[in-house]
Amino acid sequence: MTERETKKFICVSCPVGCMLTVHMEEGRIVKVEGNACMRGEAYAEAEVRNPTRVFASTVKVSGGLLPVVPVRSRSAVPKEKLFDIAREVARVVVEAPVKIGQVVLVDVCGTGVDIVASRSLEAEEKRAG
Amino acid sequence: MGAVEVIQRLFDVIIIGAGIVGAALARELSAYAMRVAVLDKAAEIPSGASRANSAMIHAGYDDKPGTQKARFCPSGNRRFHELQGSLDFTLRECGSYVCAFEEDEIRHLDVLLDQGRRNGVPGMEIISGDTLRDREPHASREIRAALWAPSGAIVNNFEAVVAFMDNAQQNGVELFLETQATGLLCSEEKQEVFGVETTKGRFLAPVVINAAGVHAGEISRMAGEESVRIRPTRGEYFITDKTVGHLVKGFFFACPSTKGKGITVASTAEHNLLIGPTSTPQTDLEDTSTTMKGLEEVLDGARKLVPDIPPGAAITSFAGVRANTLSGDFNIAVLRKPRGFVNVAGIKSPGFTSAPAIALHVVEMLREELSDRVIMTPNPRFVPERTHIPRFAELSMEEREALVRRDPRFAQIVCRCETVTEAQVVEAIRRGARTVAAVKIWTRAGAGRCQGGFCGPRVADILARELGIPLEEVTRHGGHSRLLVGRTKEYWFRGNE
Amino acid sequence: MMTDIRIDVAVIGAGPAGVAAGIGAREAGAEHVVVFERDWDLGGILQQCIHPGFGLHTFKEELTGPEYMHRWIERAHGAGVTFRTNTMVFRMEEDGSFWTMNPDEGIQHVHAGAVVLGMGCRERPLGAIRVPGSRPAGIYTAGTAQRFVNMEGYMPGNRVVVLGSGDIGLIMARRMMWEGASVEGVFEIMSWPGGLRRNIAQCLDDYDIPFHLDHTVTQVHGKDRLEGVTVAKVDANKKPILGTERFVACDTLLLAVGLIPENELSRMAGVQIHPVTGGPVVNQCLQTTRENVFAAGNVVIVYDLVDWVSAEGYKAGKNAALFALDGLPKATRRFDVRGGENVRLFSPQWLSDQEDATIFLRVTKPVEQRCRVTADHGLFSKTLRYARPGEMNEVHIKAEQLRMLPPDVREIIVDVEEE
Repeated sequence: MTERETKKFICVSCPVGCMLTVHMEEGRIVKVEGNACMRGEAYAEAEVRNPTRVFASTVKVSGGLLPVVPVRSRSAVPKEKLFDIAREVARVVVEAPVKIGQVVLVDVCGTGVDIVASRSLEAEEKRAG
Repeated sequence: MGAVEVIQRLFDVIIIGAGIVGAALARELSAYAMRVAVLDKAAEIPSGASRANSAMIHAGYDDKPGTQKARFCPSGNRRFHELQGSLDFTLRECGSYVCAFEEDEIRHLDVLLDQGRRNGVPGMEIISGDTLRDREPHASREIRAALWAPSGAIVNNFEAVVAFMDNAQQNGVELFLETQATGLLCSEEKQEVFGVETTKGRFLAPVVINAAGVHAGEISRMAGEESVRIRPTRGEYFITDKTVGHLVKGFFFACPSTKGKGITVASTAEHNLLIGPTSTPQTDLEDTSTTMKGLEEVLDGARKLVPDIPPGAAITSFAGVRANTLSGDFNIAVLRKPRGFVNVAGIKSPGFTSAPAIALHVVEMLREELSDRVIMTPNPRFVPERTHIPRFAELSMEEREALVRRDPRFAQIVCRCETVTEAQVVEAIRRGARTVAAVKIWTRAGAGRCQGGFCGPRVADILARELGIPLEEVTRHGGHSRLLVGRTKEYWFRGNE
Repeated sequence: MMTDIRIDVAVIGAGPAGVAAGIGAREAGAEHVVVFERDWDLGGILQQCIHPGFGLHTFKEELTGPEYMHRWIERAHGAGVTFRTNTMVFRMEEDGSFWTMNPDEGIQHVHAGAVVLGMGCRERPLGAIRVPGSRPAGIYTAGTAQRFVNMEGYMPGNRVVVLGSGDIGLIMARRMMWEGASVEGVFEIMSWPGGLRRNIAQCLDDYDIPFHLDHTVTQVHGKDRLEGVTVAKVDANKKPILGTERFVACDTLLLAVGLIPENELSRMAGVQIHPVTGGPVVNQCLQTTRENVFAAGNVVIVYDLVDWVSAEGYKAGKNAALFALDGLPKATRRFDVRGGENVRLFSPQWLSDQEDATIFLRVTKPVEQRCRVTADHGLFSKTLRYARPGEMNEVHIKAEQLRMLPPDVREIIVDVEEE
């Protein structure tokens, strides 16, 4: 018996945002509908096989002009790992000063992707006011 | 069960309620050498009807001669004018118009004119619709005549209440917030009163004055007195953006009906339009929610008087609950039993206006009828003046510069819509503000067109810093109204999935 | 004694428009260019926009808000732009001069050869949309909540309802979720989403957050802290349909119900404000009705992409410098821009013949099929696959084209028409 499945999701390759209907059999794509261009098919393939997202959040800072600093994953990470990544990131406390691009977590959750600071932040004493 | 420590404090007079009546009374009593305590269940004052009203100092033509209202409204009006300089609250002379659209309304204007004259209201006259429109170009073309009363004025009601209380406190009166009266302490058979039981302990005094607004009925019943029957009546209001504040100069009333004074349109002391109120009886004493229907009624009523009011100009809305009574008049009396208990109840429109005159009257009542329980020796150190926190927004450049030199926190803007500085917020906290609402009452931070969107986090930060509390303990208006639930990241440590 | 300061070009606001304006002014030859910022740091609202999605057009990368501004600020420092932070402009005069306040310098009166307004916009509050109910804690505009979360490190609540599906509402739905809040739903009064479809996908669909079009909040409940909201479906006139109301328990209501250009200073200066955009009336040089006052970015019209804000900011700065140096070419022709049936929001509102023009516009109703964005008199035509209110469209007209228009042409109509 063939395992049939239909998934629906918005393609984000470009701002058009076509609503894709992806027909699958035995875990493989057999047909993609709703896409206005070829990128839709490629996106459907990637999204079904290995959906990825860029992770963005904040981490705690000690001794900085702000108590938190924004961070992001340097590149997209597997969607299914986002939760674990958020938990890992929640444990981090970074010491000021922070430099934009500074790595705050190397190879987060075994994804091969680093979490980096998204802004620079000075340490508290420096504030002239 | 172990022994419970009962906190007891001893005073000469206790006032229950720190609205305009309680505050005005406290101020008048502070001129005498006596210990006065004012109790209020809210986290900031004013909290009840004194907070949510039309901000009007009425002229006094609305009330039937011979009633308490007719007696105290014009004198209260005069007293507000007298005290404005020494107590430093914002009062704007604007005058009022009662507008008549139909024949029977025009006839009613004569009734009001006559009533006003008998009540001692100065300078009234009936003018034609055209004369009205000469003075007020945005008044509706359908208005055929209006009763003009020059002594009507608009007040910053928040400033007025804090001004009276601030002066009272400077002269030794103690204010206890978040202190709710739960019972009256009386001798056997309720012959005499000797104090008040509250959520924060016992307050003892030979004289207890009930100025509890919409809760006056409950307090009076604690004394065994059933005559105070409060009929809570909600009134809903809108405030508009300042860009339309110029649409009227005077205070516009629709012709009053049996329900009340009708929808009014006024330009506040800060040049927003304040429109309202509706009049909806309800059972809940504390329900200050606005309703779709109520807000529509307000807008419709306002646009009938001033058609140019754009529907989209509202920046916020609110509601207040009037302490209406069955009799329709104030209930001010020294009770025979329990001795020492005074009711100052049913103070609804023109309650705010009447309050300073009522306060003087109650002082006389104490002197004449309760001299065995309280001695009215003048306070030699009484200072009748106080100044408000500098209103940075209204000062000249030179005055602002002088303040900035004195304290650089005057150069740190907190609320950009109303131009409120950090120094003002800090001073408000020093004078007793503990909540975001209190800061707004004292300084107007958060009362502008963005309604706290910009200054909210800044005011919260300053409150946390000055009060030495964590940011998550800062509240909007006391009780459970915390702004924040905790820090970010805490969720991930709770072992949640 | 208050100090008088004289500079060549002043810029109000160090957000994306202002920072770019500073660079534009310096690169056009102005000597003393100062950007005034009321916050202690630079970047404006992008400081708190920590999600990626900025700069795709400018840098061909998707950067976070702070990363995007970092690049522009570095460039500004390199170009010799001066920044004055912690400095609030609180009053502007009709001659274009303005007053600043700063804890160290006190009050100063700034006179500049030209000023660029870059104050951005504010969020529409609850009171302006007249939702009845009491006034409990827990009701925030999405941007205020974003500031608490991303810069102060505090959570506004645990159980969230979002009213409005503009991008800020969608982004905050996801952000709150990532800090452990539950998001009960996003409710949008219109029949189409306010923000980008990509954000619907990655902020709502990814997390199965319920999204309801044609819905609004009809009441808020709770005395001290929010306890819930009543939501209802709305009819074609956007009025709640009786019988569709239901209670949604929550402790936080985030509002994403519109951005309003912040023009208090502009009004003080007597700059003419357009009733539809809420921003100064400008031409393609971004010059307002006060010749020494220019304006760019969200203070003029609310943009969808920050790339355009920076481009317009740069242009405004450049022209402000030219004006201050007496080098701005004079306009000899004037064309009023009008919107066609499906276009109400557009900027600039008039064109001169001074330089090339880009007219930014938003359709009022979405067109989910092939259409054309046009400027009449044969000036511009471009086919589009769709046109949505949440995504701006542009009309490009060259200066030569404008100069060549017959002398009786006074109006240019921009429109989006179905094919």
